[in-house]
Amino acid sequence: MSDAKFFQRGKIQELRLELNSDKKDRNYTRKKQTLKKIVANMTMGNDMSSLHPDVIACMSIPVLEVKKMVYLFLINYAKAKPEMAYEAIQTFRRDVEDPNPLIRALAIRTMGYIHVDKVTACLIQPLRHCMRDQDPYVRKTAAVCVAKLFMQDRHLVENAGFIDLLREMLVDSNPSVVANAVAALTEISERSDHIQLQLNMSIASKLVTALNECSEWGQTYILESLMFVVPQEPGDAEMLAERIAPRLQHANSAVVLTAVKVIVYLMNYMSREEDIHSMCKKLSPPLVTLLSNGPEVQYVGLRNILLVIQKHPEILKNDIKIFFCKYNDPIYVKMAKLEIMFRLASEHNVEQVLSELKEYATEVDVDFVRKAVRSIGRLAVKIESTAQRCVEALLELIQTKVNYVVQESIVVIKDIFRKYPNQYESIIGVLCENLDNLDEPEAKAAMIWIIGQYADRIENSDELLDDFLYTFLEETVEVQLALLTATVKLFIKRPTAGQDLVPKVLKWATEEVDNPDLRDRGYIYWRLLSTDVAAAKAVVLSEKPHISTETDNMDPVLLEELLLHISSLSAIYHKAPTTFIPHCKPRFLIPSPALRRQNYNAGRSLQHQDSYSSLQNSAQFQQSQSNNMRSPRSDGDDGGNGGLDEFVSSPKQPQHQRLSYHEQSFEQVAEASIGNQEYYEQKINAENPYRTDTGAVGGSQPSKGGGVDLMSFDL
Amino acid sequence: MIESLFVLSPTGKVIIEKHWHELIPRRVVDFFNDQVSKAMAEGEDVTREDVLPIIASPKYQLINVYRDGLTYLSPVTKEVDPMMVFEFLHRIPDIMQEYFGQVSETVIKENFVTVYQLLEEMMDDGFPLTTEPNSLKEIVPAPNILNKVITTMGATTSVSTRKMPHGMSNLPWRKAGVKYNSNEIFFDIVEEIDAIVDSTGKAVSCEAHGTIQTNSRLSGMPDLTLSFVNPRLVDDCSFHQSVRFNKWESDKVLSFVPPDGHFRLMSYRVNLPSQQNLPIQVKPSINVGANGAKFDITVSLRNTDGKPVENVVLTLPLHKSTTTLTAQCNVGHSEAAANAGYNIGVEFLINSHSLSGLKVDVLKLFNESYKPYKGVRTMTKAGRYQVRA
Repeated sequence: MSDAKFFQRGKIQELRLELNSDKKDRNYTRKKQTLKKIVANMTMGNDMSSLHPDVIACMSIPVLEVKKMVYLFLINYAKAKPEMAYEAIQTFRRDVEDPNPLIRALAIRTMGYIHVDKVTACLIQPLRHCMRDQDPYVRKTAAVCVAKLFMQDRHLVENAGFIDLLREMLVDSNPSVVANAVAALTEISERSDHIQLQLNMSIASKLVTALNECSEWGQTYILESLMFVVPQEPGDAEMLAERIAPRLQHANSAVVLTAVKVIVYLMNYMSREEDIHSMCKKLSPPLVTLLSNGPEVQYVGLRNILLVIQKHPEILKNDIKIFFCKYNDPIYVKMAKLEIMFRLASEHNVEQVLSELKEYATEVDVDFVRKAVRSIGRLAVKIESTAQRCVEALLELIQTKVNYVVQESIVVIKDIFRKYPNQYESIIGVLCENLDNLDEPEAKAAMIWIIGQYADRIENSDELLDDFLYTFLEETVEVQLALLTATVKLFIKRPTAGQDLVPKVLKWATEEVDNPDLRDRGYIYWRLLSTDVAAAKAVVLSEKPHISTETDNMDPVLLEELLLHISSLSAIYHKAPTTFIPHCKPRFLIPSPALRRQNYNAGRSLQHQDSYSSLQNSAQFQQSQSNNMRSPRSDGDDGGNGGLDEFVSSPKQPQHQRLSYHEQSFEQVAEASIGNQEYYEQKINAENPYRTDTGAVGGSQPSKGGGVDLMSFDL
Repeated sequence: MIESLFVLSPTGKVIIEKHWHELIPRRVVDFFNDQVSKAMAEGEDVTREDVLPIIASPKYQLINVYRDGLTYLSPVTKEVDPMMVFEFLHRIPDIMQEYFGQVSETVIKENFVTVYQLLEEMMDDGFPLTTEPNSLKEIVPAPNILNKVITTMGATTSVSTRKMPHGMSNLPWRKAGVKYNSNEIFFDIVEEIDAIVDSTGKAVSCEAHGTIQTNSRLSGMPDLTLSFVNPRLVDDCSFHQSVRFNKWESDKVLSFVPPDGHFRLMSYRVNLPSQQNLPIQVKPSINVGANGAKFDITVSLRNTDGKPVENVVLTLPLHKSTTTLTAQCNVGHSEAAANAGYNIGVEFLINSHSLSGLKVDVLKLFNESYKPYKGVRTMTKAGRYQVRA
């Protein structure tokens, strides 16, 4: 018989009559049919709640299937109509003492779902009994029920002794009961302000024993709970990790990844390098195996792998081929693989990686192609020996004339120029052939930077810049800033070629444009050029900080936190959970005699709480960071074109501390022009006064006499 | 913890809705559907499979799995283990397959009461609970013919006569009291080759994934030991939870008490060192002209132990702008339909052949006195196998 016919909108009255019909109903077949119809309607969103007296009357029918349907009905409507639940209380009372354990468990489970005070009150006593029921099925259901109850009434659970009962269950003879008790305790600990799960070694050891016998889900709960063990001696950590290691070969990828998490965690408490090394060796194969699963599992695996290999680079270092993309991989899998490929790229495999990247750069998906092109550029910056081949590959790609490929290539070539000055400038000619098709700000800004930087080598650099300047006022700020700086560079390098352009640009930047950063930079250049040319030269053409790809590395504090959250949403987004999940307890490495010193913590205290709070108050953090960042070698043009793009940036600025370029250029401007600490800090705190102030301090003055000074300089 | 589950039809309509915690309004489904259509509108080649499995919305993280046209969507508000959610979401269609023989919108609607009962057992308060088909069938009866006869005849299945669930024995995957007239067990060793081959025929990456699918129809509590002639061929493996891991570590034998029915005993990976191992070679030669292109693709066999290669399918997706297409082949037949890219997908099948050479030695049975019938089949086929042109 098919249930589909029940999906017709049953009329309530009809259903009621059917349910109450006094026709002979052997074994309640008719009642069952009617209840099915009611449940079907309910799931479709039709309101069946008015049938509750009739449905609840069926609760006493001793047929499990009927009971289940009545319970479904109750769970669905009890919240909206608490009085409905009152009527059921009597039957619940009977059911929790039923000789059949299935019914006892079902009753407890259902009552846990009904968030009505009176029902909850009736639940407490039987729940206590059920936690010590002779039947394991009832006990394990009761354990979960405590977690449910906690969500409703924390106070009640914390004070009614349920936590102790759960703790007793940790040594239950049945592994499934142990697993559920652990799950409930972990859940409560994550939500509670007063309760923090901490397991000692003897409990941990018992739990690991239960691991072998419980269901796959039970294994994940138990493994997860082991994150709350703080090994006091390296030997404990090693022993635990060793005993967990077999889980890495489980068919369920959740078990595998949770085991990876626990082992990576325990490695923090190990002392001998060879133990850590041998654990790392064990971690590679299961991580590879994750990738033979469906795309979702692959995706989660890849995002987590990216974290793990940043902490332990030896893991997977010989498995790069696994991450090569297949053309029919979903796009999000390809993107995640590409990042790992880049990270695993080394002198040994760079040949293969580059040829893969070249392959990807000819595929059809625009985002993927862009990322592939960008990766080629990053590869050149990362591994010097391959730079030549990367540049050749980029040139080939530029020849394809595929617009977005060309633009992406130019963006990365700029970084290659910065990293390896005086090596690849011969290709500038090729780049200049493609000027007309640039329509993306980032590519334009990169190209303009190149023209400015090599203004003395590019014969017609003034003409090229003039072409770009034609649309100056319509460009984005990013491009305008680049143009401004490039023009000034041109002027300093080739005064005669630049003398017509500079006044034009400075005038636009200071008078026609609203953007304060642009205006400020305009004024600074103006004043610099008009007062001291040597100083202008020193500032604008100063030696640039080296770029490397090391700054792609995640901030170590964040990485450390995310590693404690492997196999979680935070590990997918690479964001600290406290930043996007409300009421989330932060995790940190709890100090113990066995805890290894974290290298990034060299000068800092191990109290992770500190680093946590600094992460939380990120605004404050950024501010203090930006003060440290002020370097004497201010690179006048950096703010404009980034110079620090998404991938390549100066090593001084770890990723999450990097300022947005508005702030950054403001800072450089402030430093160069005024160099007044107080002024600067005041600005960061209050933005509005800044605008008016600037007008007063730097604004009116140069615009009056600036032009004259500038001219005098030129003569 | 999983808070809610929506099963969506291919058109994005809610078929099943289940909340273990707070009620999450159906609005979230509309948001999700919007995101899906937005993602798919991004490019011509973007398919439903390209939609991210985790989508952030202002309030929820939308974890979703797309399988056979149906979407299994679980919006969450708290931190969860996404791996667990994905594993669980995949179990739902797996179990439905086991119960109903197939999974589709119609099948779910035909059996929705069973589906709801199953969900109730599979998860409690957001914790996945019982997902072993063996134990589930103890608690929720499958809609088989016998059950139907019982209900229509009006025979009793009342609570009092029901036995205790045995799912709570110390072996959660096996029920007690299984009885067969003829005891048999079958092993299917299936190896799939994943490979990327470049246009010169050189393998860029290449590995084989093997699985041992088992169908056990044995009475009582059989304790089995399966040994291989050459177990060291296998690189890394993962096991069904019934397999005693320590025995594998020490003796390289699979020792286990099997669940009843179909299950995957083991999966493993074999790194293939070089291209000689590939049973089939595909060499494309592509000449692109101004107004068209000519593709010559040569397929040749190598190294199959003399076993025939069957069901060879080459897929050469062409760009959407392709207007006309003619295809010829010396053997077999060809179909033409346009798509995108210059990659050739390869499929084939070789029976009674295992690429890795893995061979079963003996299967020993303990704890029961009968002599079961044992069967082993091997098969090699193409997995994600592609040739770049």
